[in-house]
Amino acid sequence: MAEEEDDPGFDEDLDDGGNGGDSGQGKRKRLFSKELRCMMYGFGDDQNPYTESVDILEDLVIEFITEMTHKAMSIGRQGRVQVEDIVFLIRKDPRKFARVKDLLTMNEELKKARKAFDEANYGS
Amino acid sequence: MADPARVKTEAGFGVSSTPAERPKQGEGPGDGPVSRSTASEPAAGQTSMKEEGKARSEDAAAGEEEEEGSSSLHPPPAKKLKVEHDKKKEKRQKVDEDEIQKMQVLVSSFSEEQLNRYEMYRRSAFPKAAIKRLIQSITGSSVSQNVVIAMSGIAKVFAGEIVEEALDVCEKWGDTPPLQPKHMREAVRRLKSREQIPNTKHKHILFH
Repeated sequence: MAEEEDDPGFDEDLDDGGNGGDSGQGKRKRLFSKELRCMMYGFGDDQNPYTESVDILEDLVIEFITEMTHKAMSIGRQGRVQVEDIVFLIRKDPRKFARVKDLLTMNEELKKARKAFDEANYGS
Repeated sequence: MADPARVKTEAGFGVSSTPAERPKQGEGPGDGPVSRSTASEPAAGQTSMKEEGKARSEDAAAGEEEEEGSSSLHPPPAKKLKVEHDKKKEKRQKVDEDEIQKMQVLVSSFSEEQLNRYEMYRRSAFPKAAIKRLIQSITGSSVSQNVVIAMSGIAKVFAGEIVEEALDVCEKWGDTPPLQPKHMREAVRRLKSREQIPNTKHKHILFH
């Protein structure tokens, strides 16, 4: 709506002014602004998403990562975060579980391919 | 019979009971004419053995008891499992190939805008260095590379879930993209009710 477009400067000042507001993370520098914009466009949003929406999403993602890290630290080997713990935490969510399995498998294949390539080069 | 070769095979079954080796050591006394010197069997021979095993495993339970009677450790269940696993693997590969073909057909018919969006969808990712720094600032110790890879992947899926839900909300409320904070917050509220957003801050004590 029109009001939302007039507010952006006001909201951003609140965040940057160190008030923190509701999110409590206003003081932190924005870590993922550029990447999140591309991501939101890829997932279906407009080509230029609103800055506030990007901020909200960044706060959510950081909170998600923080929660997962804390949970992973409390299971398995205490005080450390290991891949097995993450996979265990994710087991009930089919999308994320499948994605992690794919990523780790692909990583292994890439490592093997690179190693074979390097060995081939070294031989010749 | 007092056939030394046959006695050796049976002893072989007794000694090594790992499932991986059993198929290599091959058929039990049930297959008389087939060769029993299976110690160094070439791969081709193994495939034909698997097929025999397949045919035999399909005779299943009745055959099992007979063979167990004649040889104490003949493993039809183990070979059956391995054969089923191979069949499933072939089926899965075929399904993958089908899916890849379908994706190719789909992507080739995209408009320019759709191509842009698809490219952003595939290429966007969280910077590994920032994620690593974030995790290490929480744990206080270093984390392996795989953890960073897994966490970035999950975070991207998480962001996608929120954006998709927010787009649903936006459409339901009759608004248009770009997404506004009210859509995002309603999306978060919905996902929370489905427990897709982890929250360990609120401890609900059931009996106190």
